[in-house]
Amino acid sequence: MSEEFRPPVRFPHLLAKVNAFLLVAVVLIGAFVAIVAHKQGWFVNQTMIRVITPDALGISKGMPVKLFGFTIGSVKEMQLVNGGVDVQLAIMSEHMPRIPRGSRARFARESGVIGASVIEITPGKPINGELVEGEQIDFDRSRGISEIVEEFRRQAAPAFAELKNALSQVNRSGEDLGVILSALRGEMEQLPTTHKAMRRLIQNADQATQQMNVTLQSVQRASESVERATPALAAKLATTLDSIDGAVGQLRQTAAEAQDTLRGVRPMLDRSESTMRDAGEVFSAAKRVWPLSDAFKETPDAMLPIDSFDARGAQGAGRP
Amino acid sequence: MSALRCATAALLTLCAGCAAQPTAPLPPLSARTADANARAAALVRAGDYGGAARRYEEALALARSVEDADAIAASAINLSVVYQWMGRDGSARDSLKIVLDDARRPFSERRRLQAEVRRAILELASHDPAAAAEWAARAEQRCQRMACELAPALLNIKSQLALDGGDAAGAARLGQAAADAARSRGDRPEQANALRNVARARLAGGEHAAAVAALEQALAIDHALADPRKIHADLVELARASAAAGDRDAARGYLERAQTVSLAARDPRSLEDMEAQIKLR
Repeated sequence: MSEEFRPPVRFPHLLAKVNAFLLVAVVLIGAFVAIVAHKQGWFVNQTMIRVITPDALGISKGMPVKLFGFTIGSVKEMQLVNGGVDVQLAIMSEHMPRIPRGSRARFARESGVIGASVIEITPGKPINGELVEGEQIDFDRSRGISEIVEEFRRQAAPAFAELKNALSQVNRSGEDLGVILSALRGEMEQLPTTHKAMRRLIQNADQATQQMNVTLQSVQRASESVERATPALAAKLATTLDSIDGAVGQLRQTAAEAQDTLRGVRPMLDRSESTMRDAGEVFSAAKRVWPLSDAFKETPDAMLPIDSFDARGAQGAGRP
Repeated sequence: MSALRCATAALLTLCAGCAAQPTAPLPPLSARTADANARAAALVRAGDYGGAARRYEEALALARSVEDADAIAASAINLSVVYQWMGRDGSARDSLKIVLDDARRPFSERRRLQAEVRRAILELASHDPAAAAEWAARAEQRCQRMACELAPALLNIKSQLALDGGDAAGAARLGQAAADAARSRGDRPEQANALRNVARARLAGGEHAAAVAALEQALAIDHALADPRKIHADLVELARASAAAGDRDAARGYLERAQTVSLAARDPRSLEDMEAQIKLR
């Protein structure tokens, strides 16, 4: 009778199209998630280390952590603890051998004072060994711009003071220069007087030279007189020497006569010495004859007294 | 006339009996040594110790040149005395070593004894009682039973050593023995020294009156000997004994007399000692 009723199809193959759309959406969502996970480092093995900073000003989660300018991790977590803020840094494990114990972290900006904030790691000495998961490194708080400006002001202040002094000295030198100029002016005013005095001095020197010439002429005359008198003096000296020579001859003759006299007296002296020796022996013998022997007792020994008083030393009354 | 001849002959015989054999004249170098010693003794009497030392050195050199052991020892001992008076204790010690340290040279026992006693005196004066006792002991061995001429001096040294060692009773006993020995030998200087030692020992033992009496005896002897340094020492000890006995006026009088003596003797060391004593008053 009749054909099977078929409803009209407004959207043919709609189901296949919906399924295809859903599949594409799922793939896109999965790719997005994968990209995000890759960016978040979910597929990279990370090691957590910690720093304690007095304050977390300028530090935020996700802030890059750099070593020698290369990003090796990021700020993972921040939480308040006693005495500051505990900041956890997620470091890519492949870079951990480059961060030995004793390394230090500091807050820095990539372009000096301005620029993106980063945590910069300064590595310590390798002999200290590698850091391990959860270990803490020291944190150096970087100076803010106000501190930098304050230090600059402190270092520049003496230089400014020196500059100020130098300027004041220059000012005073200007004053001294005025004084010097006024003194020079006074000297210049006195130059004519000095010139007159110099002229008088030259005239006096001229007169002195003339007087010296006169004196030299007198000296020349005196030397001529001496030269004339020298022969007469030499003759008189020769006469005197002849007289002395005669006197010496007489003295020599007298000495020879005295020597002859002494030669004659010598036997008499020898005889008197012999006589004296004999007299001494006679006297010595007489001293040993009684009754004179008692009066002339000789000490058997010419010894100084050995006196125990000398043992008193400084207590004694000193020398005899 | 014949009586006159007989008297003359008898007188000549008597004179001939009294005459003696003239002594042989000394050899020239020995005569020079004796002359140097005599001149040195004269210089000591004149107070010129430097000149005396030079003369004794000359005598020592002359004696050495002829190896006259006795003259060497005598000159060395005399030199030690003069050097000590000059305050040159080291030189005095060296002089005595010539006798004491040379066992091979034939020095007589008498000279060796004299040198040992001098060395004991020197060490005691240098405040070395141990060395002084050692040398006194050596001398005592040589002076057997204290029969030698230096026994009084040796006993006086031992008395001073005992007193310096704090043994007042022993010092008094030894000092008395020294006084007796000196008196029996007619050694008046050592007798006065002994009495002074006895007095110091008595004073140390608290017997003030006995000390004063002994010092008065010593002073009388020293007046007779006319030795100003000993008179000064007696007067100072008398002042000390009088002060200890409580007679301050007498002590002051003795001190003034001692000061006068030291000033007259021009002895600066005594004067310094005196000034210290007077300040102690």
